[in-house]
Amino acid sequence: MALRGHLLLRGLLHSTLRNVSVIQTTCNRTPTLVSHVRTITSSHTAFAARRKNDNVDEKTSMTIQGFFSSKEKNKDVFMVACDAFRTRGPQLRGHVEFIYAAMKNMEDFGVHKDLEVYKKILDLMPKGKMIPTNIFQQEFMHYPRQQQCAIDCLEQMELNGVLPDSETEMILRNTFGKHSHPVSKFGRMMYWMPKFKNASPWPIPASPPNDALELAQLAVARMCTVDPSSSVTVLQTNTVEDAIDDTWIVSGQSLTQQKLVEELPVDQPIKVEGPFRIFLRDKLVGYFILRAEARPPPEPIKREVVDDVGSLKFWFTGEVDPEEETNLGRPVSVHEQEDGIILGVCATGTSSRDSLLSWVRLLETTNPNLANIPVLFTQASPIGEVMAIDQLSNKSETATIPT
Amino acid sequence: MFWERDPKGGYDSKTKQSRTKLVREGLKELRTEIFKWQQEVKEKFEDDPIWVMPGDRNKVWELNNEAALENWNVTSDSDHGEGFSSGSLTISPTGHGLFSGHISTQVPKDGRVKTAGYCNLKSMRPRKSFKRDSYLDWSQYTHLEMRVRGDGRNYLLNIGNAGYFDITWNDVYSYILFTRGGPHWQLTRIPFSKFFLASKGRVQDNQVQVQLDQVTSLGISAGDRINAPFRLEIDYIGVYHDPNHTETFAYEMYRVPKFMGS
Repeated sequence: MALRGHLLLRGLLHSTLRNVSVIQTTCNRTPTLVSHVRTITSSHTAFAARRKNDNVDEKTSMTIQGFFSSKEKNKDVFMVACDAFRTRGPQLRGHVEFIYAAMKNMEDFGVHKDLEVYKKILDLMPKGKMIPTNIFQQEFMHYPRQQQCAIDCLEQMELNGVLPDSETEMILRNTFGKHSHPVSKFGRMMYWMPKFKNASPWPIPASPPNDALELAQLAVARMCTVDPSSSVTVLQTNTVEDAIDDTWIVSGQSLTQQKLVEELPVDQPIKVEGPFRIFLRDKLVGYFILRAEARPPPEPIKREVVDDVGSLKFWFTGEVDPEEETNLGRPVSVHEQEDGIILGVCATGTSSRDSLLSWVRLLETTNPNLANIPVLFTQASPIGEVMAIDQLSNKSETATIPT
Repeated sequence: MFWERDPKGGYDSKTKQSRTKLVREGLKELRTEIFKWQQEVKEKFEDDPIWVMPGDRNKVWELNNEAALENWNVTSDSDHGEGFSSGSLTISPTGHGLFSGHISTQVPKDGRVKTAGYCNLKSMRPRKSFKRDSYLDWSQYTHLEMRVRGDGRNYLLNIGNAGYFDITWNDVYSYILFTRGGPHWQLTRIPFSKFFLASKGRVQDNQVQVQLDQVTSLGISAGDRINAPFRLEIDYIGVYHDPNHTETFAYEMYRVPKFMGS
């Protein structure tokens, strides 16, 4: 039976595919969500039974949990727990249980995206002993529970977008041998994950900043990639007189948009709408837009009658009717959509009405026509779904989403 | 383990209808099916195939009214008690298809499910008259083209390539749809050569290029492990022909040593 391992597809999506991955060692094409490790569980029970019989080391899962019961949860404590396990003896008894327990606790300790920690727990497996020495052992998954444990650990790395390195490979090779399933899984991860790591046309740092202003700058710059003439500026509301809030505004507007503002009729109001959501990996930023109602599509240009000799037309030779419309028309910029003209985007420190008013005031310096146009502040918008009000009342409009 | 019982892998609806009811409902559709068949015969005699020129675009699905949405199916992990995500396909205020919902990576505590958090949109299988399975033929095109407005999250595009044998029932060719976010629409063209083979959520070792004359479905998955609402507005999904794109497959096709790939 050919055992196959495959990359986990859903992992691909996460964080621009920094994580793809892999491989259950079950048969051919495994379902994603359901674990199919029945053969492995059965070996687990045999393993557990043997441990009970030898009665040398009465470590239960309760004592393993004890390694991670520290009140203080950080990387150092986690590493110390791993070291403490190592000191229990050279046999490293119960390392599979310990690694599973560690994997479960990684997120609480905030180390689930840390390659060093993954290497640390994979390194807890004894070296040499589990390397197959003949083809039968190799074909029939020598030490299945341990191999599955290593595969699950690699899969967790993949889901969290952690790219392994050659040291990880050496750990796996020294533990399970060159042709083992964990090493195959490692190979698949190293093939696919770098392929998609930088595939996004709008790259974001692997760990986006936590600072709200930096995030807002990234978000606005990303939205502004639609027009190369855009510029992103950070404005301060304290430069506006009568401004109540003292905060920052990240404003993005292009030269095309400024031109559109100048062409707007002064009798029709334009709207500031939002906040809408934009995601930068797992970080959420709320942004606002300045939008005017869509103009009717440009009038097609009528063909001009060059030589009117009493409206002579001879359709048979292909002479066209002068009244016929052509497809030629005014070129439409990317901002003029059928659902409105986008005149600018911004994100502010407080997301308050006052800060948006300051934004419009500050835009007037580059868009003089804006002073003449009535501006409405609304929440509902056809462009997108606005964020909840309670998110608005936060001090900052950026919120970190727990993963 | 060695064969598939049904194309849905056990995930079909659990309600079984009586045979008499099925016959009665089937007869109701006889009229429309005969009409379809008539059209097919006429089309055969007309013999007027599509002649694709460079730069031609064919909007395969245009999501602009309620009737167009009936061609799509939304599923999520909560449908079968395997998670808590939800999603829907509706018409947005601007009159386009809106694929939205909420992704939750919370895993139900049943000891069986290991990970959760996806929501999926899939087109219905194309069928000829009398409910005979058929295929979409995109072999004259080189790119998948779509006009969408996303929220900055990444989605997965899945081209279904189900064949006759059960091993191919779950064949899906995937690539990522990156969305910019923001109020502007984005036009995305993805070469078919970039789509890689996956089956039941696992990227396969032995890669082949997608069979474009055998397309059975197109799907969009949301599942980027971010616990938050997602929103993807879709104007149309189509195919595009660019003769300058000569790449046939973007991934290495060399033979790996024995026992390395399976």
